[in-house]
Order: sequence, then C-alpha cells, then structure tokens
Amino acid sequence: MLKGYLKYFLNKLGWFAITFVFAFMLNFMLPRFMPGDPVAAIVSRLAQGMSNTSGVQAIYEQYTELFGTNKPMTEQFFIYIKNVARGDFGFSFSQYPRTVSDVLGSSIWWTIALQFPAIIVGWIIGNSLGALAAYLKGGFDKVLMPISIFISNFPAFGMAVIFMVIFGVNLKWFPTSGGYGFDLIPSFSWTFFKSVITHYQLPFWSIVIIAIGGQAIGMRSMSIYELNADYVKYARFMGIRDSKIVGYVFRNAMLPQVTGLALSVGTMVGGALIAEIVFSYPGLGTTLLRAVLGQDYPLISAATLIITVMALFANFIIEILYGLIDPRIKAAQSD
Amino acid sequence: MKHIFQQVFRSGKFVTGFSIFSAIMLIVIFYPMIVTVSPLGIIGQGTFFPPGIYVSVYDSMSATSYTLNLDGASEMRIASKLNEEDRLAVKDWLVAAGIPESEIDIADTAKLLDQWFTNYDPKKNIPGMTNAKRNYFVRLNTALKGLLSDEGAIVMQTNPQTGELAQIDTIQQTDYVNVGEVANVRMLPLGTDNFGRDVLTELISATRVSLQIGFVAGLIATLIGLTLGLFAGYVGGLVDDIIMFITNLFIVIPPFVLLILISFSIGQEQRGAFTIAVVIGLTSWVWTARAVRSQVISLRNRDHVNLSKLSGHSIVHIILTDILPYIMSYVIMALILQISSGILAEAQLSILGLGPRTTEVPTLGLMMNWAMIYQAHILGNWWAYMPVLVTIALITFSMNLMNTGMDQVFNPALRD
Amino acid sequence: MANAMLEVRELSTKYVTRFNEDVYAVDKVSLKVDEGRSLGIAGESGCGKSTLALSLMGYYFPPLHYTSGEIIINGRNISGMKPDDIRKAILGKEIAYIPQAAMNALNPTRKIIHFIEDVILEHEMYVNKKDIYDRAKKLFETLGLPPEVLEKYPVELSGGMKQRTVIAISVLLLPKVLIADEPSSALDVTSQKMVIKMLKQLMDAGFISSMIFITHELPLLYNVVDDIMVMYAGQIVEKGTSHEMVFDPIHPYSKGLMGSIIVPEKGLRDVKLTAIPGVPPNLKKPPSGCRFAERCRFVRPECRVASVQLREAENGRVYRCIIPEAELREAYAREQEVQKHGN
Repeated sequence: MLKGYLKYFLNKLGWFAITFVFAFMLNFMLPRFMPGDPVAAIVSRLAQGMSNTSGVQAIYEQYTELFGTNKPMTEQFFIYIKNVARGDFGFSFSQYPRTVSDVLGSSIWWTIALQFPAIIVGWIIGNSLGALAAYLKGGFDKVLMPISIFISNFPAFGMAVIFMVIFGVNLKWFPTSGGYGFDLIPSFSWTFFKSVITHYQLPFWSIVIIAIGGQAIGMRSMSIYELNADYVKYARFMGIRDSKIVGYVFRNAMLPQVTGLALSVGTMVGGALIAEIVFSYPGLGTTLLRAVLGQDYPLISAATLIITVMALFANFIIEILYGLIDPRIKAAQSD
Repeated sequence: MKHIFQQVFRSGKFVTGFSIFSAIMLIVIFYPMIVTVSPLGIIGQGTFFPPGIYVSVYDSMSATSYTLNLDGASEMRIASKLNEEDRLAVKDWLVAAGIPESEIDIADTAKLLDQWFTNYDPKKNIPGMTNAKRNYFVRLNTALKGLLSDEGAIVMQTNPQTGELAQIDTIQQTDYVNVGEVANVRMLPLGTDNFGRDVLTELISATRVSLQIGFVAGLIATLIGLTLGLFAGYVGGLVDDIIMFITNLFIVIPPFVLLILISFSIGQEQRGAFTIAVVIGLTSWVWTARAVRSQVISLRNRDHVNLSKLSGHSIVHIILTDILPYIMSYVIMALILQISSGILAEAQLSILGLGPRTTEVPTLGLMMNWAMIYQAHILGNWWAYMPVLVTIALITFSMNLMNTGMDQVFNPALRD
Repeated sequence: MANAMLEVRELSTKYVTRFNEDVYAVDKVSLKVDEGRSLGIAGESGCGKSTLALSLMGYYFPPLHYTSGEIIINGRNISGMKPDDIRKAILGKEIAYIPQAAMNALNPTRKIIHFIEDVILEHEMYVNKKDIYDRAKKLFETLGLPPEVLEKYPVELSGGMKQRTVIAISVLLLPKVLIADEPSSALDVTSQKMVIKMLKQLMDAGFISSMIFITHELPLLYNVVDDIMVMYAGQIVEKGTSHEMVFDPIHPYSKGLMGSIIVPEKGLRDVKLTAIPGVPPNLKKPPSGCRFAERCRFVRPECRVASVQLREAENGRVYRCIIPEAELREAYAREQEVQKHGN
C-alpha cells in the first residue's frame, strides 16, 4: 500500500524539482535578456562613470565583482548559482549597506506568518460555509451565495483597502500600518507581542475574506453534486444514518477543493502581497514596493525568487497531503 | 444562433451585468467628447481637494449681486465659523465660571453664544488659568463679537494710476450671486488627487485605458490559450504532454511574479500601455488553455469528428470546422474572464509601480498607486481611491455576471 | 395459500417539482408477492416502475412524497412508521434495494469492507470488526465473489464485479424482499448472465424470500421471474404469470411491448417487429380517460370518458381495458394473419 504512495510522492517531488529549476532559470534569464536589461544598464553607467556618489559606485562595483556581469552569460549563471547557494545575493542598491539577504531575511518571516495561516484559515472557513450552504439549503444558502459571489469578484487589494478604511480609519479598532507599533523595538516582551497581534488583525482578516469568497462557491457546488450522488441514495437505503452519510459526502467534496487550493496558491500570493502593501506591513510586499521605487535590481530579483519558491513549496506540500487523504491514490498506483 | 442570443438576453444575470458594463462603456466613450479637459492636467495647486463645486471668488465679486433675506442665514454663517475647538473652549470657560455642564450644548450655536455673551467677563478670575489662556479668551470674545455683527466686507484694490488702495466694492452679508452667472465655476464631483488633477476626468480616462489594456491582454491570452488548448486536446499524445507540462509550470509559478520580473526588466522607458497589455496576455493564458483542452478532449470522439477524419480532412480543417464551433461558447466566456483578470493584473502591477509610464496616461491601477503612496487612505481623502476601487469592482463584477448568465444558458445543468 | 411476503394496497406516491407541481408517478398500485416467488415489473422508461421500487422501501425523500396506500412487508404494515424506525428496522433488514447502475452506488473513497462495517454496525450493536469480516468473506465466497474484493476500493473493480458486490452487500442482513432495479441494464452480456445467475442463486439458497425484478427488457423476465406485471403511466395495466404475459398478453400495451422486441423463442419468431407510436402522457395532468388511449390502436370514444379500472380475466389475471378479452384476442389473431399473408 505504501508503495503506491511512494510512487505518488516521488512523482510530485520530481515535479517540484523540475519546476524549481525552471523558475530559477527564468528568474535569472528574464531580466538579462530583456531589452531594458537593468544589469547591463547599471554596468554601462558605471563604465561611463555616470554614477553620482562614490558610495553608489561602490555598490555597483561590488555587484559586478560578485556576479561577474562583465563575463559571458553562462559563466555568470554558474557564479549566480554558487552565490545563491551560499545565500549571498549581494548588497541592496536601495538600502545599502544592508545586504539583500538581510533585508529579505527580516521580511520573509512576516509574510509567511501572515499569508499561510490566512490562506489556510480562509480555505477552511470558506469550505465549511459552502458545505453548510449545500446541506442546509433554504435561507442560509440564499443569503450566502450573493455575498460570496460579490466578495469573490472584488479585487484582492480592494478588500484590503476597505478593511483599512472601515476598521482602521473610521472605527479605529485596529492600527492601519506597520507590523508593530512605531515606538517599539522587536523583542520578546509581552508588549511587543500584543502590538504585533493587533497590527496583524487587519491584513490577516482581509486575506482570509478574499480566500473565503472563491472557496465557498466551489465547495457548495461540489457538495450539491455529491449530495445527489448515487452512493448517497444507496447508503440511505441500506439504513445508514444521515450524519454518517454527510461525513462521506463532505470528505469526497473536499478532495477536489484541496487540489484547487494547490493550484491557486500562486494566484492568491499575488493578491496577498498587495494587501501587505496597503497596510505597509513589513513583509515581502512592502519590500518589493520599495525595491521597485528604488530601482533595486538585486532585491527585486531575490524577492521574486523567494516568493516563487514559497509558492512552489506550498503547492508541493498540499499535493503531498492530498496523497495522504485520498485513499484512491495509494490504491490506484500500487499496480 | 439567434435562438441562443435570445436565451442569453433573457437571463437576468447576463442582462444586469451587460447593462452595467455597457453603461461604463458609454460613459467612457462619450464623456471625453463633452468634457474636453486633459485628464492629466493639473488644475489644483495643492493636494486632495475635496469633491464639490468650485466657484471663483474673484469672479463672484463681479457677478450681479442679488439681495436675499434668508431665515437662519446668520446662524449658518456663525455656525460654520465656530469650529469644534473653539466651542469646547467656550464650554470649558463656562463650566469653570460656574454654569452647570448639563445646560451647555456645544451643538446649539445660538444658545451657546447667548450663554457666552451673558456670562463672559474678561476680568473674572478663573483659578488655574494662565495668562496666555486669558488672552486667548479675550481674542475669542472679540472674534465672536465680530461674528455677530452684520457689517459687510469692503473690497479694496490698488488703483493702477495712483498706486493707492481704494475701495471698489462692498459685499453685504445679504448679497448672493447666481452660480450660473459667475464666469468661472468648476464642478469637481470627485475632487482632486494628490497632484491636483480632476479625479473624475482622470478616472474616466483611466477606465478607458485600463479597459483597452484589458481587452488587448485578454485577447492575446485567449488566443494563446485557445490555440494551445486545441492542439493539446485534439492531437493528444506527446504534443499534449508537452503542452500540459508547460502549462502546469506556468500555473504553479505565480504569474504575478513573472509579471513583476518581465515588467521590471523591460525598464521604465519601454513600458507603454500596449507593451504591458502584451506582457499580461503572455502570462495569463494558462487557465484558458486547460479549460479548452478538456472541452476538446470530450469532443474529439464525437461522431461528426470521426466522420471528418474518415473523410480525410486535415487536422487543421477538422479543428476549425468540427470542434471550434462547439466550444465557441466556452471561448467567449474565457475571453471575458481573461479581460477582467487582465484589468486586475494591470491594477496590481501599477500599484507596485511597474505599470505603464506615469506621464502619458492614467490607469486605474496607477490612480490607486498614487493614492497609496500619498497616503490618501490614511488622511481620509476617500475620493482619491474609493471611486477607483468601485470602478474596478463594477467592471469585474459586471463581467462576471455576464459570464455566469451565459454559463447558465449554455450549461442548463447549472441553472439553479 | 402461501404467505404474502410483500403486499401493496392502492399505493400512490408523487413527485413535487421545484415549481410545486405534483407529478403522480405511482397511481393506486396494488400487488402481492408470495414467499418464494419473484415478480417482474416491466414498462418503458418513465412509466413509474423505478419510482414504485423506491416507494416500496417506505423511505421518502423530497421530491418524492407518499400520498396514500399501504405497504405490508412480512406481515408488518410499514406505511405509518416513522422514518427513523423504518431506517433502523426495515431498510436492509426486511427489504433491500439494488439500484440501477450500481457502479456508482459505492462511495469511491471507502473500501468495500469499511462500507460493509458501516451497514452492519448500523443495524447490530455488538459485533466486532473481525466477525464482520468473517461474515462478509463467507457471504462473498458463497456467492462466487473473490474475497479480495473486500479490501479494494470501488475504482479497482470492473463494472460487473461492482454490480455483483452491490447485490451481495444488499443481502448481508438477509432481507425478506429484494428489489433489483434494472440490475443488468448497464452491463455487457456476459456480466448480465452472471448477475441474473447470482440473483436466482440468492432465491434458491434462501438468502432472500421474494424478489422484485424491474426492467424494460421483457424477454429477460421470462426465464427469471414467476410473475410479470406491466406498468404504464404510473398504473398497472396487466398482471399474470411469466408464461401468460409473454405468450398471451391481453392488454394492447403489453401486446405492443412484446411485439417491439426481437425474441428468438419458438412461437414468437414470426411476430413482426412493431414500435408503439406516440409518447407517454404527462403525469402532471393525467388524462381523464384511459391513459393509453392516445397510442392505442383499438381506441374508442368511451375510452376517454372515465378512468379505467383493472378487470379480471380468466384464471386470475387482471388487465386494465374496457374491451373484453375475447374481443382483444380475436383482434390479435386477425392481425397476425394479415402479417403472415402480407409478407
């Protein structure tokens, strides 16, 4: 039995590896092959001596040195791999003398702590609501559906802005920006934690609401479909009680939802990043924004790579979990 | 075909969505013809003027003045000049002077002023009051007295010949002008943004641009998705595997990230609206390809297809004549979805600052971006971003409604 | 007189559409199946036979509603029982139902043995899983099914195997009456034979006492059941033994059904293939007269006036027509002559 699962696992692992390599190469090649190659632009500016301060010059020189941008492309690629493996992305252009890994290191945890729980919570709540709507029908269903449709059509950042305006600015229940109070320094104190938690609420719940909208509708359709399935009727006729049958139904309806989640992680991450920006939350979103404003090429490149890897990883984990909960996987692949 | 049309237009959802969308389109097309101001023209010196009707003060002086004696006019005048701070200060003084707090209502201007003038005594010694505060109240008293007077204002202008200030006009408190007769009046229903531009005109122009970008992006994405889906689904085998492999790669890698990379790499100068549209189109075809492929797979074993195969038609011919017509409904729906997600993608890019160049045309995302950067949402200048959000929401909402409506017509199983 | 295992008296049930319209799917149907005997119910699609089968279980779910009538199983009148009591005491234990297209009747994400456990534990309290497994294994072996099936998921079984598994599960609790709803329609011919063989075996070995076999394929019934009942538009139009119904149908519809089937049986080989023109009536507003009037070649003005009752023919058969049986038989004989000479 386990053999079947092993086959599935290896299949998914292989897929993860291939996608990762592909994404990595894309991340490397795209900027360099584009007409407005920022690296070349910087290097040529350097060569013409057009950079203004010596500090800026130092950064660019270091970058050239580190990534060998004056060498042929293939050599550059291997140098790049070597550096990334060491975790060295060079200095950040816009936040010199901080290194890119330093900047990313501090923001990545904020993003992970925010987005993954939010997407999962949203997924759970959304699916529960959808399942309930399918089961209870009647009034609950009629109320839930239009709301879900409306919310799922609302752009992600829109929800974030609305939340901020209603709860942050007008009702003043929650702070509107930052990850923690401006006057606090990160430490393991209770005040700090409390501050973090209050600042966490608005971005968290706006991402949750966005995740709910789409899920509820899907789960409802799946549940309705399953509730009318033949095996439900047959189980009833064999005398099995409704509560047990409902358990069957929702387990079956949930399976495609899990797959759906795996596939939509990529899209959700985009919306969640924007939400972070709206709240000036100190995660990857805001980092990206500032990087773009500051034309900070190494930071952007590294940030996009990290985001991609995160999304790939999430997709991988979800697919693995799916293999564990769908019993047909272990069975079907074993012969 | 006509029958399908009729059915579609009878669907409530479709009609609602279609009406909203058409309304937006009509506004976008006709407004610039009526209001010919440049959308990016900076008209306000200063940031975030609130919505309203802006009347030139200078010109209203020259307009014909009519005398109107309106009830409560002076009360309104005084009420608008007496701000919250001053009212609280008056209340504080009165309380300190011994008036019971329950009798003081700062919202009731007339009564408040009445109580003030009855009780105010500059010489009265209030314990704990500083000199500065005492002077403040003296000034307040004078100002308040000034409010009650019914003197007019005198307008003076420098005489070009003598160089001296001479009175040219008096403005009575009962003088009114007809807004229609004032030379320069500008309606700014949505105020101005941080640069001082008319938000309404800007918004409509931005909607037009965003819609254009959406159409182009959607069209490109649909074409790519359609072609790939058709070939993958119909030919099957290795071709299918390869195409599916590539498709899956692009699903899992967040398309947003790709957009960022490409857009940034292109560089500021190259980023026109059209270029952005193409880039969005090139990165968002994945779902369409998948959907088309599954439709084609279910179609390819139908009898009429087999018949064509037996008749010896070429693959391209079969695809075009036997399969394409049957999936047209899906293709149209996919197109609509692609357009609306294209608009959203542009908005997301622009919020990051990677959208089209900021100097030529506004887009919906750019307006959001400016509002965010200049902190409109925190300052409470809702007109700089709320209308944009509502517009984006309306566009996506109406398109999705149309889509759902059509879906229910083409797919009776989904009718509820 | 043998014991009636299942007796139905004037049972009427209806569907309620989402526009709140009533569709009278089963209209005052009465039947009786004695111990040890099997009844076949035949008719075209939409005539109400499947609805009748569902109604016999006594367990009604919207949009199916009970209107009137009585169902007595093994001496017990279940018509007044509460749904929960029916679920615990009747379903599966007294009367079991094998659905059409049983391939979909099994939960795709549950192993067969786990489903069996669910069924047994629902009806019996103090059984442990090992006993359940042994019982299931024994049953499967007796019925000629490989016990490995128990550990599998439905997706791993072929269509025929799934159908037979469902049949086996249905008789787990040794119900008195088994209702098989088109058990072989969705299968290839070999599997069909196996399924029918299995059903017959169930009766012979005493697993079940009586069986109701529903199908639209009349010839199938001849070798399988003792009595046959023909339904049309929610009503019984004729009842008789298999032999009588296949070789000597009285009602024009039964006659038409037999005539529209290719049967290589002796005596019937010469009957020309005819289709019955027209479509069944709309059961939302059943016609006031005979429901078959629109399509009947013997229709007379009196047919449409009042609803037609079942009338007795010789040796206990019943049929629903105002025309006396002698007349009908004459007409059939004439038609056959015309056919023979017309070719």
